[in-house]
Amino acid sequence: MIELINSISVSLLVLIILGLALVGYFTVRKHAISAAGGDARVLHSLPGYYGYNAAMCIAVPSLLILVLWLLIQPMLVQNAVIGLIPDQMITEGSSVGLVMSDVRRVAEGLNTAVAQGALTRTEAVDLRVDQTDVRALLADVGVALGSDVQAPVLQAAQKYRALTATGAATMVVVVLAIAVLGFALAFRMTHPAFRARNTVEAGVKALLMIAASLAILTTVGIVLSMIFESRNFFQLHDWKDFFFGTSWAPNFRGNSDLAILPLLWGTLYISVIALMVAVPIGLFAAIYLSEYAGPKVRAVAKPLLEILAGIPTIVYGLFALLTVGPFLVNLFGRGENGVLGVEWMSGATSVLTAGLVMGIMLIPFVSSLSDDIINAVPQSLRDGSFGLGATHSETVRQVVLPAALPGIVGAILLAASRAIGETMIVVLGAGAIARISGNPFEAMTTITTRIVSQLTGDTDFASPETLVAFALGLTLFVLTLGLNVVALIIVRKYREQYE
Amino acid sequence: MRDNSLPERDVDTKTVKIAARDVQVYYGDNHAIKDVNVDIEDKTVTAFIGPSGCGKSTFLRCINRMNDTIDICRVEGDIRIDGEDIYDRAVDPVQLRAKVGMVFQKPNPFPKSIYDNVAYGPRIHGLARNKAELDDIVERALKRGAIWNEVKDRLHAPGTGLSGGQQQRLCIARAVATEPEVLLMDEPCSALDPIATAQVEELIDELRQSYSVVIVTHSMQQAARVSQRTAFFHLGNLVEFGDTDKIFTQPEDPRTESYITGRIG
Repeated sequence: MIELINSISVSLLVLIILGLALVGYFTVRKHAISAAGGDARVLHSLPGYYGYNAAMCIAVPSLLILVLWLLIQPMLVQNAVIGLIPDQMITEGSSVGLVMSDVRRVAEGLNTAVAQGALTRTEAVDLRVDQTDVRALLADVGVALGSDVQAPVLQAAQKYRALTATGAATMVVVVLAIAVLGFALAFRMTHPAFRARNTVEAGVKALLMIAASLAILTTVGIVLSMIFESRNFFQLHDWKDFFFGTSWAPNFRGNSDLAILPLLWGTLYISVIALMVAVPIGLFAAIYLSEYAGPKVRAVAKPLLEILAGIPTIVYGLFALLTVGPFLVNLFGRGENGVLGVEWMSGATSVLTAGLVMGIMLIPFVSSLSDDIINAVPQSLRDGSFGLGATHSETVRQVVLPAALPGIVGAILLAASRAIGETMIVVLGAGAIARISGNPFEAMTTITTRIVSQLTGDTDFASPETLVAFALGLTLFVLTLGLNVVALIIVRKYREQYE
Repeated sequence: MRDNSLPERDVDTKTVKIAARDVQVYYGDNHAIKDVNVDIEDKTVTAFIGPSGCGKSTFLRCINRMNDTIDICRVEGDIRIDGEDIYDRAVDPVQLRAKVGMVFQKPNPFPKSIYDNVAYGPRIHGLARNKAELDDIVERALKRGAIWNEVKDRLHAPGTGLSGGQQQRLCIARAVATEPEVLLMDEPCSALDPIATAQVEELIDELRQSYSVVIVTHSMQQAARVSQRTAFFHLGNLVEFGDTDKIFTQPEDPRTESYITGRIG
């Protein structure tokens, strides 16, 4: 019996529960019909609803318990096992987490050994360090360990195995019992007057609510993790230097200058150039498409413009690095050999390169949103303007655009927040030098590129040089969140006024 | 006194302002207006009545070439205002619309201030030489629109903040601000309550002093109240056209009679 229960894995358990739910659906549905004497009209709800109710009673509580169990059991097991590890081992091995991961690895190794037949079940339980070379044994079954296994670790691993196995077996029994109980309950509840339809409705509502709250909770989780890591950073690094310093010079031997201002400057400079490209072109494209273009042109041009939005940003980055950058150097650099004969630009990576390409990336974003907004301006306003003898462009300039303005401002702010958060184009196009300068031909760097470079490669998650990435990320998040909120407020406020 | 009032009244009436001959309108393949011939007189209110989809609004929109803004619409025939063919190549539809004002079914004030709404037409046509003149034009138009007293203290509040009836009178003021000769009204009261309707009807009667007014309406009582001449449209044809009193009391065509008595609609 124990063997059978132990052989049930979590995925199999889920399948069993779902199978049970299916059986429950058909059984209870049939039971409902027979309870009504074969006349489904006597039932409060359609027979299917009784079936759904049964499936819900079987699957929902048991799966919920299963999830909770899987979350909580490792914590309880770890707490129980940790007592076996002597204190001096923990101080040597620097942290409890490291020792525990050793324990888990040995335990898994033993499981693998048993599964492959290198050990019998009893042998695995009785294994002793002084009798067997555990490391060699586990290496034979393909589990490599960093060092020789010490006695407490092996003991702890054996206890870990035992507890986990017991826990898993108990879990299977409990979860299946709950499922069966749910089945019985649903069966008993089913009589013609039972309002199964309403119960199912409540279940559907709960399901939708769970989906919505999961999305929100994830966001909250991400924000919280960023806040905690940023707090760690500010314990290691002076917040005044981070926000008000003017130099960015990370140094992995410590004592780095980690100031956000040069990065913020680069970010905003590039974003402004991008918007200077994207807003006029995008807006004019939107006006042409929504006001002037015939249906045929529109049918072709709009999807084409939206293809631009589907290009991965890394491709734009390549475009910046390989096409736009060298083109700009040819135009503004290379002294006598250049087109303009000036020596303003030395390398292909610059604020201008990244800004131009990012602007191109944002064009479809601005035009598509503005197009929708312009189309939403009521035709009656255009008629009113035409009726007074205004030309098409007068109508657009004086009636359509003012009416669409709040929406357009919102679209631009959304584009700005995308520009600020954009990464790949600036990684490839903007360069890596943090500085505050007004020259658009110089390389600069942005918050996003620095986050990438601080977190790639060999990193130590306890040093300010790495943790600064979270503080940067949090600042970026606050910035874009602020922009989005302002955009939404503007859009909402003016929409109320004009409707 | 009595001696000079008589000849004046004679001049007031019976000048043909708009003359339409054999007008055909097509929406794509759909023949929406068939062979319409009508003479609309100056300083008169002419009402177009008829069931929904009979073409009365379409015909109204031919008079200021608003149908030009609809791609699939095609107009044939001859429409003359003061003897001038408005579909002639030499005529600029934009200029024409300044001369033939239009008020729409739903009040459509621009999302601007009351002042800017009224000043919109005069500004685009350059009717004022300076700010003082523009102020004058706006005030006169708002007085003509019978809304001056209600808005004179808040000329710079948004026009969209007015009530429905006030918005419609604002739109009428906006239309008269460009000094049109003809005023077209497409069911101007259909979105208004009875009190606002009464105010707008009273206004229409006053506007008759200066303009030739053409009004499309679904309400036969309204047609009877405000118009001197009535045209009955049915399925794209102009069935009957004559003095309002006569149309409503002794219609010649059986279709007119059925519509007026509520048997078709």
